[in-house]
Amino acid sequence: MSVNHASSANTFNRDFDRTTWHDESLWFVRQKRDKAVFSVSEFQQLREVASNIKEHTLSSLDHYLIEFEQNALSNGVHVHWAANAQEHNQIILDILKQNKATRIVKSKSMLTEECHLNPFLKENGFDVVDTDLGERIIQFRNEPPSHIVMPAIHLKKEDVGKTFHEHLGTPANEKDPQRLTEAARQHLREKFVAAEVAITGVNFAIAETGSVVVCTNEGNADLGVTFAKVHIACMGIEKIIPKWQHLGVFTRVLARSATGQPITTYTSHFTKPRDGNEMHIVILDNGRTQQLGREDFRNSLKCIRCAACMNTCPVFRRSGGHSYGFTVPGPIGSILSPNLDLKKYSALPFASTLCGSCSDVCPVKIDIHVQLYKWRQIISKENALPISKRWSMKLLSTVLSRHGLYNLAGKIARFTLRWMPHSITHNTLLNSWAKSRELPHPPKESFGTWYQKNKLK
Amino acid sequence: MMNVRDRILSQIKVNKPSSLALNEIPVFMGDDSLTNFKKNLESISGQPIEVNSTNEVESIVNQLFPSAKKIASSIIPGTVSIDTSSDLVSLEQVEVAVLRGEFGVAENGAIWLPESNMINRSLPFIAQYLVLVLKKNDMVMNMHKAYERCRPGNYGSFIAGPSKTADIEQSLVIGAHGARSLTVILD
Repeated sequence: MSVNHASSANTFNRDFDRTTWHDESLWFVRQKRDKAVFSVSEFQQLREVASNIKEHTLSSLDHYLIEFEQNALSNGVHVHWAANAQEHNQIILDILKQNKATRIVKSKSMLTEECHLNPFLKENGFDVVDTDLGERIIQFRNEPPSHIVMPAIHLKKEDVGKTFHEHLGTPANEKDPQRLTEAARQHLREKFVAAEVAITGVNFAIAETGSVVVCTNEGNADLGVTFAKVHIACMGIEKIIPKWQHLGVFTRVLARSATGQPITTYTSHFTKPRDGNEMHIVILDNGRTQQLGREDFRNSLKCIRCAACMNTCPVFRRSGGHSYGFTVPGPIGSILSPNLDLKKYSALPFASTLCGSCSDVCPVKIDIHVQLYKWRQIISKENALPISKRWSMKLLSTVLSRHGLYNLAGKIARFTLRWMPHSITHNTLLNSWAKSRELPHPPKESFGTWYQKNKLK
Repeated sequence: MMNVRDRILSQIKVNKPSSLALNEIPVFMGDDSLTNFKKNLESISGQPIEVNSTNEVESIVNQLFPSAKKIASSIIPGTVSIDTSSDLVSLEQVEVAVLRGEFGVAENGAIWLPESNMINRSLPFIAQYLVLVLKKNDMVMNMHKAYERCRPGNYGSFIAGPSKTADIEQSLVIGAHGARSLTVILD
């Protein structure tokens, strides 16, 4: 089934107040980002440097992956390679079985979401406890995350209160964030201490040292990993950076772009496991090498998953993360997803005004809005457009390419807009563009006619 | 037949763009003063306290946590002894951990804590309250200087303030799963 962003967004928009609240919550994060970014005078230079490091790395990715693997191996870390989600999940299942583990905790990892690891492990009899507060909330509710940094941004405190009442026994109607967080703290600390295996994502993997870096605010990655006998870190091939020193650049831009913090509370560097413990790193492709081969789209792989493009996007803010139907929603997800399934995700590159705000805030300078536009070209060439859009585009191109037809259409439009009742010209069944939009007042004549009359003789 | 690893690497070789130069990171300067560090630490909900000598750490900790029964430390005589082989229960019951931070980062209030300063890997994260003791002159201006100064070791973390979350309606809550507060004693 292909994703219909417009219709999901429509459903989201039925609750007007809630949509406005969602919009304002994300805009608030965008403003915090601005404040943090503007306080660093060299921020634009840092974006340039970060972009260069990532572009360079992509151009020698095989070399750096090999270097990373060698160093990780000599640190006593097990390195696994997975071509796709299925292989990735199987590797993790095998590690769990080998260790006869039953108590598994996981800190936030969009990659394991991408692979649908939790449902896979559940089918195989393993329950995973998500330990990021936002992720635990949506795990209780059996929902996917709606945002990659703030997974429960679509929920109100009353919703969380109801969920915790059902699952953690907090008093009915409890909606105080402080008390709800305290309940989660008590519940999750038990899980951390008892954990046998801790799964984490990876923010950065350093070729030079074989280390992986994981950033959190809650400390849940460290709590999980330091108590468990086995640590499994899951990463895409694009997480590599060449040198330890490069972390200086990325730790300066990541949190500022994401939440407006100067740095995440915990920036943790895992290089060697504790004596007697195991550390595994799973390196996943899942379409990334294919994206690397697409000249126009390869630099989407520079992404460091800060979500600044989501927080600033006028479409994301008013349609919610779930309407994208892809693990990574928003502008960046809309240029990553068509690579995996062009038909299924053909609506997503159209879920944008092409205003370019996403590219402006991107800390690694991905030309997101340009890539959205380029995907549109490919989608229409491959006939993957929805029928309504295909025909309206065809009609438009016929009218725009014929002078006489264009003039006639202009006349008809000016006439009907002036004389037809508003209830017909703005009937949303006939004219879906008029949903929450007002057409301009028609001028008396076209610009062409006006110019003919007024041009300097 | 090629294994998964070699297949991924060979696909990269075919698909990657032509080699692009890696530029030098320019030298970025900043304010490495204690004042700047303290200002940024406070902005991320950390509490700085200046003392004249390390001898004062114990009385400060006692003042801050008068009812704490389980204090683990590498600096002051604690009330519980924690080491690398401590069991889960003793770790989980630690109320206050008092540890030595290697150096502070003035631009963001972060403190480098390598495994060698943690007593036990879990301690700085599981303790209810964390106190880091830091030399007043052990400051670097920014993260570039920070990564010049620290090495990966086995495990290490930049800790910037107490554990926090804003996952419920963007309301900032201090004390998510880790330390409920971070006090930085500058000696």
